[in-house]
Parts: sequence; structure tokens; C-alpha cells
Amino acid sequence: MLSLKHFYRSLASGGIRPPANKAETLRSRIMPTPVPEQLLLPLQQHQGMAADVCVQVGDQVRKYQLLASSDKASCAPIHAPTSGKILSIDTEIDLYNTGHRQICISLRCDGQDEALELDGDCVEDHRSLSREQLLARIESAGLCGMGGAGFPVAQKLAAGRKSGIEKLLINAAECEPYISCDEALIRERANDVVRGAEILRDASEANDAVIAIESDKSDAIAALRAALVDSELKLELVSPRYPVGEERQLLYNAMGIKLSRGDLPVDAGILVFNAGTAAAVCQAVMETRPCISRIVSVSGAPLRTPKNFEVLIGTPVAHLLALCGIDHGQHRRTIIGGSLMGKYLADASYPICKTSNSVIATSEEEFPGTEQEQTELACIRCGYCADACPENLLPQQLLVYSKAEQFERASNHGLADCIECGACAFVCPSKIPLVQYYRSAKESIAWEQDRRESGKQWQERFQFWQYRHKKNAESKKDRKLVTATDTDSTQSEFSRQQAREEIAAAVARVKQKRARKKD
Amino acid sequence: MAAVSSPMQFSRRSTRQLMFLVLVAASPAIVIHSWFFGIGMLLNILLATLMGMAAEALALYLRKRPIRSNLGDNSLLVTALLFGIAIPPGSPWWLLLLGIGFAVLIGKHAFGGLGQNVFNPAMAGYLFLLLAFPLEMTSWHLPEAAINPATENSPLELSGLAQSIQLLAPTTDLADGLAMATPLIESKMAVRSAVSAALDQGLNLFSRTSATGWELVNWAFLLGGLFLLAMRIISWHIPVAVIGTVLVMSAVYYSPGNASVMGTPYLHLFGSATMIGAFFIATDPVTAATSNPAKIIYGIIIGIAIYSIRVWGSYLDSIAIAVLFGNFCAPALDHYLRPRIFGRGQAGKL
Amino acid sequence: MALVCWALVRLGLQLRNACKRKISIVDIINAELPQTQCGQCGFAGCLPYARAISQGEAINKCPPGGTSTIRRLSILLNEIDEPLDPAHGLLARPKVAVIREDECIGCTKCIQACPVDAIVGAAKLMHTVIEDECTGCDLCVAPCPVDCIDMVHADSRPISWLHPQPTDSWRRLIGSEPAEC
Repeated sequence: MLSLKHFYRSLASGGIRPPANKAETLRSRIMPTPVPEQLLLPLQQHQGMAADVCVQVGDQVRKYQLLASSDKASCAPIHAPTSGKILSIDTEIDLYNTGHRQICISLRCDGQDEALELDGDCVEDHRSLSREQLLARIESAGLCGMGGAGFPVAQKLAAGRKSGIEKLLINAAECEPYISCDEALIRERANDVVRGAEILRDASEANDAVIAIESDKSDAIAALRAALVDSELKLELVSPRYPVGEERQLLYNAMGIKLSRGDLPVDAGILVFNAGTAAAVCQAVMETRPCISRIVSVSGAPLRTPKNFEVLIGTPVAHLLALCGIDHGQHRRTIIGGSLMGKYLADASYPICKTSNSVIATSEEEFPGTEQEQTELACIRCGYCADACPENLLPQQLLVYSKAEQFERASNHGLADCIECGACAFVCPSKIPLVQYYRSAKESIAWEQDRRESGKQWQERFQFWQYRHKKNAESKKDRKLVTATDTDSTQSEFSRQQAREEIAAAVARVKQKRARKKD
Repeated sequence: MAAVSSPMQFSRRSTRQLMFLVLVAASPAIVIHSWFFGIGMLLNILLATLMGMAAEALALYLRKRPIRSNLGDNSLLVTALLFGIAIPPGSPWWLLLLGIGFAVLIGKHAFGGLGQNVFNPAMAGYLFLLLAFPLEMTSWHLPEAAINPATENSPLELSGLAQSIQLLAPTTDLADGLAMATPLIESKMAVRSAVSAALDQGLNLFSRTSATGWELVNWAFLLGGLFLLAMRIISWHIPVAVIGTVLVMSAVYYSPGNASVMGTPYLHLFGSATMIGAFFIATDPVTAATSNPAKIIYGIIIGIAIYSIRVWGSYLDSIAIAVLFGNFCAPALDHYLRPRIFGRGQAGKL
Repeated sequence: MALVCWALVRLGLQLRNACKRKISIVDIINAELPQTQCGQCGFAGCLPYARAISQGEAINKCPPGGTSTIRRLSILLNEIDEPLDPAHGLLARPKVAVIREDECIGCTKCIQACPVDAIVGAAKLMHTVIEDECTGCDLCVAPCPVDCIDMVHADSRPISWLHPQPTDSWRRLIGSEPAEC
């Protein structure tokens, strides 16, 4: 049950209760997936930088082998999820149709699943490892946050180390509809989660660690309670409403700490990790196993048997949909993530990444308007959005200003604080795509600012260019006055002609080259 | 190419449904009213709806907006309902046409249509009629007698009362009885009238007097309002603020000696239009304040205005004026009472 | 009405500030221009165009600035918000120049043409464009004798693609070209 404290906090911070749609995927246990024919591994599966490829096309690689890495801190290495042959290292995909192209390694699996021997011994108790060893194991495993944004874990721990960490929060609150991978994981592997949390606590030298979970996930709570029997970790139950699983919302609901939009939990001496991340950390440290798979919930009306799968990173989404028995007649589009903050996948052949927690196959009945347009009615200022907004903004005012492109006013009303959770658009009776308006306005503001900055730079360079040309012209005039009498004009005439001939020859060469290319 | 972005899931509740539920919530009161006072109000609502539809369609056509989708949002039905309840039953059709036409064309579409209007259209239309045709708007016909003179159903008890009032206020055209005028009006018109005396004694079911009828209608509006609250269509802030303010003011100024001059708190709540005003009119989302603290202040302003105009002003029942007064204040309230953004120190500031 | 009032007040404030800080109206206008220095407006650079606007030149001659620049200028100068004059070019996504390096003959003509010195290279040696400095002005394309300069969409810019503002039929997949900025 929720304590009074938590009940008050849930009242104070808005939010909505959309239909959860998690029961279907939670009916069965987490299932392993057969190895698909081909894997597609994006080099940048998280925020930060892309990794550099360290294999060649045609190489035979084994499971756990390093495929791409980087010495940059903001970059997590990528390992081969299974054995096979590298088909290409420069396949370009645009996962979500946003013009942001990603480079992928394409791996043809041979089905042998030959594993590289893991260097480093398995340990029973992580306390036998020093802190440096823990960090090194986490870093080399290529872990990044499994919740959504996917911040590399090692980088987060390093940042925490710099500023000093007091508390650790494990985010087991999975508030978005359709996503149940963490709940399934906790139900079956609560020990891993708790151990991972202990490892993260020791690695970040936090005094205290809290696991926060929604009060309505009774199975997962029971499993966690059992796993927590001889642990110092605390369990906090938070109110089951969306978006309680958002980092700052959870911090408030579980710990009573309010952070403003710009602040990172690290600044307040807190690190937040996802429950799935904790379980992966446990594997990485205990068995030195790199991150090559994750749990993904696959659901939606067109699927006959929605399930949670343990999926190799890089598995095409279509493979998972086929495993669930998809009805292609009903299937419209595919969402990666939840139904409120997810993204439409551009193509079902695109892969599962380290951050993809859920796949939803949409149908027309369940998601009306994905195919047909849905008309937006006038805002009647009913204020449901303001009640739902977890950030306490006034969405109706933001809408007016965003729509009219009065960006200054929108900013004054806290547009930048919007977390794009979609609670306002969910409750809107007029079906106004509020978040899309905000997103558009935010991007325009950022774009405008960017353009202003580069404009200033360009202006300076142009002014310098003008200044230089003026000076050059003046000095040329001077030189002409001085040299007009004694220069051999034929000499310069000749060199000019020579230059012209040389250019003509070069042009001809290029033309030939191009003609040859065409052939 | 354009990526359609999140969120993809929406609640099923639509504006259309909300407006429809408001109609449902108001219907018991209308049924009770018709039972006691005849079908005059129903006719009003029906006529107002038809003429309002025509006016709305005309406005949408002139403004080159899609007619079907905008008519389909049911908002006009609510406007027509409130307007039909507000004006006297059995009013001539031209009065209705002028009123609803003003409400839709000037009150709503001149400001930019649904969502843009500053004043509650129904109340604007009512007030326009009250100012332009004071005689018609204060003549309360007895519709049953007018429509079906042979029926014996007309509340006979009223005749004596009507006569007494006529004696006390001979210049007003109240001879036809008191089918619609709220008891409060009577209380003001006729000092120590039988109606307010009846109200002083409390609820008397099954007597089918106009006082009992009005009491029941108000209870029905209260129930309808509670239904809206339970369905989470309106929030509690405005009704509680309005009713609370009226209650507190009438209790403070009430003295048993001259009960009928100031009116008892019970008369103010259940013998007048307070309930419909608090739950159905003041809560109109378009013209009300939006943030929760602003809503409470808005409700208090309306409550004070209701009581003040009733007791010290020269208008009879004051919901319309009070609500319009509240509408005046709403934008300023919204501007100054912004909620504090999550995690920020001061409201609306970085 | 409110917009006009607001625009007037804003203009007044800016002018007052300008007088205080000795900034001329030309500088304020210039700040609104995109600084691509492309000359599509018919003036040699953004500053000359700003000067011309301050003396009554039309405000709709800047294709790189597009609709948003015209709107800002119209509010600033209290003029009518006109659509872009197609005689000076069409709206386009921001672009950058890229030299096909194996075809470059090292003639330095583009280097001389570049108004912001964004091309580096020496005579008879390969040239290349510093992408961050390139304004996408197109001025280097014409002088190249071997046509080895391409104008490509500036994908590496922090934001090269914006979510479109939803319209009434926002869910319909609009065209194949992303919304113009």
C-alpha cells in the first residue's frame, strides 16, 4: 500500500492513469528468441558519440567479440551478440525517420553461436573486487541505460564520482502503457536487480540505495521483497500514475526531492539507474559478460501472443513480430517504446537497440488516427491538460503561444520545462496534438538561436574578408604605381597564359576522368 | 518522410462527449421543472437549439469554417440549454431568436468561435435581452394555461399568491402566476410572501407549489452538478467557491427578524438559480479561469457578485451578471495566478 | 490590433535602446538577417541589404532567412508581412558546399569567391570546405571550372530537421520533403 506521504506527493504532481495494457505480455515468462539470420548493430545506440568500428568486412567474429569501441567517455563499446560474418560496416539507416542517419554493422549469423572465452573470472561476491575493477568491468561491457535515454553507465558513474554521490535510486517504475520488460525482469530475476543495485551503490560509493516501484505491481513487489531480505536496500512504493517513472518525477515521488528541468540528479548527489540496467550490471560484473541482449516487451492488438523476449541487440523488429504471430492485415505501424513517448519505427527490418524497451504493433482500432487523419477541434480551455501536466505548466497557454509562434512568451511560460510526456495530449478532449506543437516550437527556438550564433560568426568573417580585400586592392594599386616602369610585362603575360593553359589541361583531365567513371 | 511523433495514444473522451454529459446532467432538473411548471422551458430549449443551430451554421459559413465538425461538438446544445433555462418560459419566438442569435453571433463567433469567446454566450444573450426588452424578460407567463387552458393541472394554490403579489406590486405584470420566476424574485417583490414563508419552513414534497417545485429543481441541479464532478468533467473549485461564498454571505447577513428581506441561506441556495449557476454556468471552461487557485478566486468573485446584486442591487436574480463579471476578471486571474512550475523556486520564473 | 500595439511598443523600445547604446536601426535589421552573405537579395552581403531596408527597400528579398525573417522584420518595422519574392530565390533547406576532392584541380577560384573564408587550400592543391563556417551561399559554385562543388543539405548541423508544426490534418504524412524552416 501507498504510504500517506507518497499519496500526498502523487496528488501534488499531476499525471494521468492511461490503460496500462501490460497484462497480455505479462501472462507468460520471458522467452529467449532464436538467433535471426542477420543482425544490424547501430554504432550509436545512446546519447553521446558513435563508436569506431574495429573489424573489417568479411571478418568472422565470435560471440562477445568487440566490434566497435572508442576511447571517448561518452561512448559505449559494441560487442557481437552471436558468431557470424561481418557483411558490411557502413549500412546507413534512419531509425525513426527524423533525418538522423545512423551507421550500422551488419552481421550475418552462422547459427553456431560460438562464444569467445570471457577474459576475467566470474566472482561470487562483488565485494571481492575493488572499485576500479568494478568500474572497468562495467565500462568494458558496453552498458548504457536501459530505460530510454541510454546514458552510458560508466560515464554516469564517472560523473557521479567527480561530484560525490550520497544516494542511489533504482528506477523500477515503468509507468508507460504497454511496456512491461522491467516488471517481467523483476518478477523472474529480482536477485539480479538487487545485486546490480548493490554493485552500483558500491561503485558509486553511495551511502544509501532505494528501489522505487509502483504500488500496483504486486508480483514484482513480492519478488523484490523476497530478494531484499538480507540486503540494506530500501523499497519505496510510489503511486502508479504516468509519468511517475520519469527521472525527476520519481525523485520527488520516492525521495521528496524536486529538481528543476535543467538540473541533473548528479548535481543533487543522486544517481538514478533503471532496474534493467542494474540487472545488466550484475551480469557484467559477476560473469564479465558484455551487454549483448536485453528484454523487450512485444505487444499490440495485431499480435496473437504478445510476450516479453530476451532479445539479442541488433535483432530486426520484424523477427520479433513474426515470433508473436503477427496479423499483417491488421498491422499498421510499429512503435519503439511506449505509446506515449515512443517513436514510430521507419521500417520493421530495423533493429532493436540497447535502449529499445518495447515494440508495439499498432492497429487501426487501438490507435485510431495512425492512418486516417484525426481533426483537431478548438481548445475549450477545459484545463484537463493543466491538471495532468506533471511539470505544473499551463499547456493551454503554451499551445496558444506555440501555435502563434510567439516563442518568447512560450519560453516565459516554461516551454523549456516540458518533458514531452504527452499527458496533456492524452487527456485533451479536443484531440489537439499539443506535444507536437511544443516540439515544433522548441526546435524552432533552438534553431533560431543556433542560427543567430552562427550568423554572428559569419558576419565577423565576412567583415574581415571585406577588410582584407580592400587592403589587398590598395596595396596592389601601390605596387602597380611602383612597378609599372620596370616590370617586363611579357613575363607576367606569359605566366598568365601558362596558368590558363594549365587550368584548361586540368579541366580536360577531370572531364576525361568523369567520362571514364560513367563508362 | 515527415515523422509523426509521440504521443500516439489518447483517451477516448471528446469534447462532444463532455458537452453531451453536461446535457445529461441537466436533464433531471428540466424534467422536474416541466412536471411542475409545464413544458414552457422545454419548448424554450428546443426552439433555442434549432435557431442556435441555424445561427451557428450561418456564422461558420460566413467564417469559412467546416460546418459539420464544428456543429457536431455539441457545444451549441449546452449554450441553447442554458439560454433556454434562463429566459422566461413561453417567451415569444422572436425574443428567443434575438437572444440566441446574439449569443451565437456576437457572444461567440464575433470573438473567434468556440474557445475564443470572453463571455459566456448564453449569459451574454440573456443579458442582452434583459437590457433590451426588460418588460418581456420579467413577464412570467403561465405556459400550461397558455398552451392548454382546459387542463386542471395548473397549480391552483398559486392563484391566491399571485393575487396577493399583484396587490403588493400592482404595476408588474405578474398576474399569470409564478411559473418561472424564482422564489427569490418573489421574495424581493413581495415582502413576506407565501413562497418565502413556505421556503422558510423547509422542503414540503408533493405539494406541487411553485416553491417546492423550485426547491426540487435546485436539488436536481445539485445532483447533476455532483454527477459532473463524479465524472470529472468539472473540477470542484468553482462550484465550491461559488456556493461557499453565497452560503457564508447569506449566513452573515441573515437575521431572523427580517428574514424575507435578506433571505435565508437556504433560500439563497435552493430558492434561486445558485445551483445551476455554480455547477453549469460558472464552470463553462472557455470563459472561466483555468488554473486551480485562479478558479477559486473566480468562484469567490462570482459568489460575492451574486449575493450583492441580489440583495443590494436592483436586478432580480443575478447569476448572469455575476458570471459575466467573473468572466471579466478571469484573464487577469489566469495571468497573475500561475502555478509554480515543478522544481522551480518562483512561479513562472527561472 | 494587439499585435500591432505590441509591435509598436517593441519597435519603440528597441529604438530607444538603440539611441542609448548608439546602435543604428541598420544594426537591428542586420541582426535579423541570416548572415549568409549570399547576395541573393541583390546587395553585396547582409549589411548592405540591412542598410537598404532601413531606407525603404522591400523586406521580402532574403530566401535564406525565409518566412521567419520576413515576419520578424515586418514586426520590427511595422510593415506588411509579405511572402518571399521569388525573383530572388526560393525557400530551401539550409545547405553547405562540399568539394568533390578527387576532381578539384586547385585553381583557388572558389577560395576567392567565398565571402566568409570557409574554403581552405593552396594553388594546384586540393581545396576543402570548413563545414561549420560555410553559410551555404552558393557563391563558390559558379566560379568552379570543373563543377566539383555540390550543395548538400546540412545534415551535420545540430538541427537540420525540424518537427513540422501540426496542421489540422497533422497526421497525414505530408509530402516527401520535410517542412521548410
